[in-house]
Amino acid sequence: MSTSLTDPVDLGPRRAPSRVIFGPHETNLARRREISARHVAYYARRASGGCGVIVTETASVHPSDWPYERAPLAADCGPGWAQVVTACRPYGALVLAALGHAGMQGSSAFSQAALWAPSRVPDAGSRELPMEMDGTEIDAVVEGFAAAAALAAGADLDGVEINAGQHSLLRQFHSGLTNQRRDDYGQDRLLLTERVLRAVRDALGTGRVLGLRLSCDELAPWAGVTPEMAAEQAARLAGQADYLVVVRGSIYSVPATRPDLHTEPGPGIELCRQVRAAVGGAVPVALQGSVVDPAQAQWALDDGAADLAEMTRAQITDPDLVARLRSGEAERIRPCLLCNQACMVRDNRNPVITCVIEPGSGHELDDGDTAVPDQAPSPVLVVGGGPAGLEAARVLAMRGHRVFLAERGPELGGMLTTAALVHGRRRLGVVVDWWRRELERLGVTVALEHEVAASEMDDALAKRMRVLLATGSVAGPRDYRIAAGARVLEAADLLAQVRSGALGRWPDGRAVVFDPVGGPVGVGVAELLAASGRPTSIVTQDQIAGSQLALTGDLAEANSRLQRAGVHRELRSLLRVVTDDHVLLEDRWTGEQRTVECALLVHCGHRLPEETLYLHRPRTRRAGDCVAPRTVLEAVLEARRVALAIGVADEQAASAAGRALTPTMTGAGR
Amino acid sequence: MSATSRYRYLFSPLRIGPVVVRNRIVFAAHLTNFAEDGLPSQQHADYYAARAAGGVGLIITEEHSTHPTDWPYEKLIHGFHRTVIPGYRKITAAAHAHEVPIFAQLNHNGGQASSMFSRLPVWAPSPVPDPMFREVPKAVERHEIAEIVAGYGTVAGYCAEGGFDGIELQCSHSSIVRGFLSPATNKRTDAYGGSLPARARILLEIIDSVRDAIGPERALGVRICGDELIEGGSTLAEAVGVARMVEATGQVDYINTSIGVATATLFMIEASMSIPPGYALFIANAIRQAVRLPVIGVGRIKDPVQAERALAEGHCDLVGVVRGQIADPDFAAKARAGYALHIRTCLSCNQECVGRMGLNRWLGCIENPRTGRESVRLPEPRLRGRRVIVVGGGPAGLQAAATAAQRGHHVTLYERQPRTGGQVAAAASVPSRAEFLDVVRNLAAECQRYGVLISTGVEATAESVRAESPDVVVLATGAIPQPPYWAAGNSRVVDVRDVLEGRAEPAGQVVVVDDLGFHQATSVAELLADRGCTVEIITAGMVVGQDLGITLDMETFNVRAHAKGIRQATDLVVLGMAGADGEPGSGSGPDSGGVVLTLLHHPTGESAQRQCDWVVCAVHQAPDETLWQQLRAAPFEVHRIGDCVTPRRAHAAVIEGHRVAVAL
Repeated sequence: MSTSLTDPVDLGPRRAPSRVIFGPHETNLARRREISARHVAYYARRASGGCGVIVTETASVHPSDWPYERAPLAADCGPGWAQVVTACRPYGALVLAALGHAGMQGSSAFSQAALWAPSRVPDAGSRELPMEMDGTEIDAVVEGFAAAAALAAGADLDGVEINAGQHSLLRQFHSGLTNQRRDDYGQDRLLLTERVLRAVRDALGTGRVLGLRLSCDELAPWAGVTPEMAAEQAARLAGQADYLVVVRGSIYSVPATRPDLHTEPGPGIELCRQVRAAVGGAVPVALQGSVVDPAQAQWALDDGAADLAEMTRAQITDPDLVARLRSGEAERIRPCLLCNQACMVRDNRNPVITCVIEPGSGHELDDGDTAVPDQAPSPVLVVGGGPAGLEAARVLAMRGHRVFLAERGPELGGMLTTAALVHGRRRLGVVVDWWRRELERLGVTVALEHEVAASEMDDALAKRMRVLLATGSVAGPRDYRIAAGARVLEAADLLAQVRSGALGRWPDGRAVVFDPVGGPVGVGVAELLAASGRPTSIVTQDQIAGSQLALTGDLAEANSRLQRAGVHRELRSLLRVVTDDHVLLEDRWTGEQRTVECALLVHCGHRLPEETLYLHRPRTRRAGDCVAPRTVLEAVLEARRVALAIGVADEQAASAAGRALTPTMTGAGR
Repeated sequence: MSATSRYRYLFSPLRIGPVVVRNRIVFAAHLTNFAEDGLPSQQHADYYAARAAGGVGLIITEEHSTHPTDWPYEKLIHGFHRTVIPGYRKITAAAHAHEVPIFAQLNHNGGQASSMFSRLPVWAPSPVPDPMFREVPKAVERHEIAEIVAGYGTVAGYCAEGGFDGIELQCSHSSIVRGFLSPATNKRTDAYGGSLPARARILLEIIDSVRDAIGPERALGVRICGDELIEGGSTLAEAVGVARMVEATGQVDYINTSIGVATATLFMIEASMSIPPGYALFIANAIRQAVRLPVIGVGRIKDPVQAERALAEGHCDLVGVVRGQIADPDFAAKARAGYALHIRTCLSCNQECVGRMGLNRWLGCIENPRTGRESVRLPEPRLRGRRVIVVGGGPAGLQAAATAAQRGHHVTLYERQPRTGGQVAAAASVPSRAEFLDVVRNLAAECQRYGVLISTGVEATAESVRAESPDVVVLATGAIPQPPYWAAGNSRVVDVRDVLEGRAEPAGQVVVVDDLGFHQATSVAELLADRGCTVEIITAGMVVGQDLGITLDMETFNVRAHAKGIRQATDLVVLGMAGADGEPGSGSGPDSGGVVLTLLHHPTGESAQRQCDWVVCAVHQAPDETLWQQLRAAPFEVHRIGDCVTPRRAHAAVIEGHRVAVAL
């Protein structure tokens, strides 16, 4: 086996320059329901980085399908598709349009009409009851796919990919979970998909690619498509397509289609291998699902599990993934963290897709290029080696500045290193390793256990060094009474103790995790404590623990993990008092109070900026948590802006830019 | 009786600084999500125009943001870009065409935001994270405060250029000014924190800045929160103090009022039907006693008699009627003309107005399908005078009949029950949901006015319909309760509708199974608890009645449920049951008729049991398709709408009823 990810591959009549796919995914980049200029720039950036196949955001083939507000509608996409092709073709990438109909997994909020489905089965999340399609609607869907394919051919796309994977009406027909029909479409659950494939092939004409995205394990064996059934389905359908993407997931397992970092990369490899074996080489088969590690993807090819790899999130994080593989610089690829924090945008608020460590993703038209060398290089002191300091140092060094990075602690990474100690969040640490390698490559001077005092800052400024503060955060206030003898520990300190093995020195007894934030930290800390064998409770004002995890797809699973681990969830509860042996909780709505045994309280609240140096020299450039403690996304974004603002002009301009944040720079005016 | 005798105060004019309003009804500021690309849209203009045409006294638009650091939700109007001015002109011209003055509300949401859209740090007086957004804001520095103050002035200038007659400063629900005023969010130790005058300093600076920008020819108002209803927040005494300071500037022409914090106590700002009308008038009352400026009172005032009484009792000088005019743009004109009974009264159901706002969707109304769609022209009737039969007198059928008749068709509606109303009547039979009945009461009244022939107690059959050889048949035959598979015909397992419609009277221990996540389960649970049952609601979901959060009923339901001893359990799937109907039950005795439910706690895989006397199911129904199957091939046009397509909520019925009728 000598096929490389970077080798070309034939997909039916066309040749892709590499075996890496940028798969279809929600972006919220659409303008109304059209493919926008922002889409074009987003896809073109990946094409320029060597991506082999770009599959654009799934377009609805019929107006009955409007699953989210900015979901493209095929009928409105012709001009936008043509622009994507024009932008990507110079780089050789194939451009395909994903076509689909979300069926009962859609929403009636925008169409204001009943959802279409094989049978009247409600979605578990929306609880919306769809209507059972009859022959008229089925014909309309087939015609919709054909019309969309014809439009795609008219826009000179290289082809289309038909969605029978997650969020698809076709899969809903394939599955006993959702198809309870007694007619032909119930007797033969693939009948509709076969009709669609035939109609699409006719509409595409010869010379274009027809791909099929197929859910091959619904992870619901009681009625869903199992890998065994999928092998038969794939074998039957493969001959009608030019390639196959093997995906997982159903209405009951939406997060499994693109799981977060609690699932190890490549969960679909064995499934893909089985399906590939079943189709017997009839068509190339692509691996999908948390494929973020090029070495793993290459192994999957070498080992005969797949012919291509869909590496979508990996290329959101690093658009140059393939180019870097080609140039032998795999270690320079910015690693996807699988955090799902900024790239999972099927969210009512319509966030624009981006990446916590590559905030330029999705903002290709807004953000400047970080790699432009500066005209006037100068020495820069970066104070703090967390994400903001690391990113600032990296960008400054790339622009030719001489950078001195001072970190007070014994290692780089700051709060991100701490966050990676949270149960199930270890993968967060891989980007710290990447930053460390990049700083080394770029010749940044790093001083660990080096605390910058005010006097050193003054000295640096006196020597006309630029100074950039990334000093992070300190513990925040506690708005509950702490009685004498109570043991209250900040989450960050607890995590440090876990690492040093010092957790055991706390007295036995129940740990209570106070989580007013509802993010990954509180839940993960509770899991960690429970895993250490300690009885554990988590206290939240919300009705669900980890309420903000809905945004990363982990909410239901997180609550299940907590319950399986025996963690008591003290919901809709306010923490009033901590004593040496209990906490006093109060129901948020009824005011009813109760006590819970507590030997150790772990505080997972918001933090405050570390501002000592800033207050010493107000208006010094700063970024990240020392502005306001937030997530790694804001730290990286601000670090870039501040790093780009250094040295661009005279002191006056630099001073204005130190505020970083004029609206014109940010696209806030859009 | 003329309007002036019917309403002594409501239709009397009032001077607000340089502006005179013809009556006291205010379409107060509220979000619409009509903005496109941060700019006001044609839909904005058409939306306000409809209320201006309907006779409102004063319109205050939704907020216009004053600074790029403020972008809490996608469809915010970015007032700080000059490009808003053409849109402003459209909006103001639309109101002025009906001689209605229109003010712009200016705001910076401060810490009640995230950086997600702005990609900038959130600004606030102090680094106190908002309870909803949960992002630590950046404490603004002095130069940033100056920038905020200047931003208000700039945007006020754009508003003046855009033709607005006045400016309102939102210092209430969601505002950086509220953030400064509130001891809960202002922890500053400089000149902008500490004492009330210090906390109010930014407001007074903004007033100066805005008055400078708009000159004396335009009105300036300040909207103050009378009670934040949060721990450590501002209270009424402080609000009165702020009102006095505002008046003392001599630059402000009126005070508007509000209650609650949008990101903490929203359920008291846009109160649902479970909170009494006029609940927030005490705030206007207190402020009005302290200042001479005209004061606007608000708080679920949804009919003109309530509004008149608020004025007559001296609580306020003007009355904010928002949802009342979302539901019926002609609220004021109908009241003035003596046709108050023709007003499509708001239900305060919050499903499509408040509910859609929270989900980033355009503003709608459960009983007015035109709300939010004003800029979408209706088609002209293809033909007039068609003979239309509507089968079913629930919300879908009533809406179809009313609209079809209004557009010139001859409509007969058949309802098999003795009364129209369908499932709405049952839903509204629960005391806390009584106002929901208005949707069908209003529709039935419209049907009557437009001359729909309503035959109740008559079951339309395929034969009877064919015999009339109509031009069009609209089927709105509704839904049929469908017992879950595990119920196996057990007589102790009933549907919510069986209870509400009087076919079943559960007693003793009752388990309510909530698959729907809305009012069905919680309503029936309350009703049965009131009747003395011991009630537990179980759901496979993570929260009982999850969508009550959308309509702001979650808090009040839970408080009532607690008082009534209603228990709740989540993550439970019913696997099966035993007992009653002759089966060997393990109830309290062989004759008890008790049943035992076998449950699966799906996160852990553990099983559980519940012993009870009755099980009430809030589960999906089945469409009543009988007539559709019999008539779909008939030689006349046949349509189906509402639950007989697939059972959903009332708004879907109304929208489909309207859609089918306008397409005739």
